[in-house]
Amino acid sequence: MTSVDERIRKTTLLESALRRPELGSLFGLAAVVIAFMIMTGPINVSLGEKNTFGDMWVRSVGVQSWVELSAYVGILAIAAALLMISGEFDLSIGANVALGGHTFAMLMMAPDPMPLTACIITTFGFMLFVGFITGSLVVSTGLPSFIVTLGFWFANRGFANYLAFRNHDTSRLDIKPMLEERNVLKDGEIIPMPDPTKIDDIFAFKDGFFGWRGNIDLPLLEPFRLYFNAEFYYFIIIALVAVFVLNFTRIGNWIFAAGGDPVAARAVGVPVARVKIGLFMWSAFSAGFLGVIFTLQSGVSEPLAGDFRELHAIAAAVIGGCALTGGYGSVVGAVFGAFIFAIVSRGINFVPFIDNNLFRVILGLMLLGAAMLNQLLRNRVVKG
Amino acid sequence: MDKKPTIEIRNLSKFFGNIIALKDVSFEVYKGEVTALLGDNGAGKSTLIKTLSGVYRRDEGEILIDGQVVNFSSPRGAAAVGIGTVYQDLALQPLMSVSRNFFLGRELAKWTGVLDFKQMDQITRDEMAKIGIDVADPSQPIGTMSGGQRQTLAIARAIYFGAKILILDEPTSALGQKQQLEVLRTIKRVRDLGELAIVFITHNDLHAKLVGDRFAFLNRGKIIASGDRTTIDMDNVRALMAGGAELANLEREFADPS
Repeated sequence: MTSVDERIRKTTLLESALRRPELGSLFGLAAVVIAFMIMTGPINVSLGEKNTFGDMWVRSVGVQSWVELSAYVGILAIAAALLMISGEFDLSIGANVALGGHTFAMLMMAPDPMPLTACIITTFGFMLFVGFITGSLVVSTGLPSFIVTLGFWFANRGFANYLAFRNHDTSRLDIKPMLEERNVLKDGEIIPMPDPTKIDDIFAFKDGFFGWRGNIDLPLLEPFRLYFNAEFYYFIIIALVAVFVLNFTRIGNWIFAAGGDPVAARAVGVPVARVKIGLFMWSAFSAGFLGVIFTLQSGVSEPLAGDFRELHAIAAAVIGGCALTGGYGSVVGAVFGAFIFAIVSRGINFVPFIDNNLFRVILGLMLLGAAMLNQLLRNRVVKG
Repeated sequence: MDKKPTIEIRNLSKFFGNIIALKDVSFEVYKGEVTALLGDNGAGKSTLIKTLSGVYRRDEGEILIDGQVVNFSSPRGAAAVGIGTVYQDLALQPLMSVSRNFFLGRELAKWTGVLDFKQMDQITRDEMAKIGIDVADPSQPIGTMSGGQRQTLAIARAIYFGAKILILDEPTSALGQKQQLEVLRTIKRVRDLGELAIVFITHNDLHAKLVGDRFAFLNRGKIIASGDRTTIDMDNVRALMAGGAELANLEREFADPS
């Protein structure tokens, strides 16, 4: 005998779509794109302004400005989203951009430096270690990660700049001479990415692999020819991998469970502590990764690199539907959130009649609106 | 009695400092039977469950499974010898789907590392159907399930992952009347499968009477009475437990479920 409960019913495709956490941010992204298309196009024309529609949406410099920012914020937002889903929080992520950049720069500036690739890998290893320490401290003390990572938010940037100042009398580390010496930098420009279709080319160029300025044409968009920096391509790769891991693997299942109800998760054998420490390591690594990329691209590691980016990343994750309480959220949402952030942030420069100072006002209101909308959608999930 | 108990507890004691939480607790549970363990709040039920499921280490006494003395010191160890515990809070994730909850911590994956949703959904549906719940869509979040169905999910999960002895910690206590009946029906059905020995912990003697084959009454850390349906005087022991008057009222209510 089986009893069919009236509460379990077949769901339509629309209903399952309405249950997705990234739904709110998808609408948000569509709204922002449409709004900025109208504001940079028809409205500007009607106001007698020079038509800047193409500047923002079609021409390389304009598109690059917001796509690259969304890649920067997006890589951090993916890490922030995964951590938030697991019920934790990392405020030190922005400081870790500077810590990573400075670590790399100082390795390059050492009296008897290692090869470039070794410097990069050492930096990545160090950042993973930093993440391990952060995560272990959160897990072992049971303190809120907000407090622990606030501590590291102060300490990590301070430590990086202290070491830089002590060893090189400046907290702004210029490694252009070292890059030129190694043929990574020529005439002040990073050597562009080799032709990826020629295997020999890549091996000959291995030292520049992480720092290439990926001036790759997107042939689909001819005749406009858009160019993006390396971080954009890494962003796409990281996003695809993160979506896969979160939704289709065991580890993804554990990330949700660790944030949803850690006691229950532990009771059925989920290694909650290891999952969380791993995500803190990923978070610190992401930041260090960007720090290294920026240092290679500009030849300089800035003392304030990544400042405020932790908040931008968290904002993007929240806009993307992540719950601060954990157990709920999506990588796709965080990616949408990063695009929303970047389009509003850069797009405002293309709309002459909006004061740039209003950017933060708009962002703040959007964050609140998104949080409220997402809460509404989340309640639908629990109540069916 | 010629058949052997699946699990036998002999003179189990547990102390916390100078507090005697359990003293010389003995009872046995047989395959295809329900042993109802009754006791009021503070009688030592939780301590007993946690000792049997490996959360606490026992201080004295023996646990025998199929006649063999077993020793374990962790929940994993208890699970390995076949003790499956379904806790009151069920250890479920409300925002995750039915089948993800079913396989949480023991997910099925294909060789690529991709979770095998199709198979997990199928097994979840089958296992739930075995004990009487028809799950139309295992990919729905369990937030949409009733309390009784969640209890069933937790029980089905314990059985599927190899429990020989099922310990149910107050499975009816946090539920409405109708769902309590649903859970009791599930317990009955699991019992009738004939494969498992069930320990049903409750402070509700009416529920115990409905599904129990054997009874053990715990009070202040000791077993004060035990036996099967023929040897035990339920009314007398009930008086030993608190709240006899309220229970009488409940019995009338229970006899006539709307």
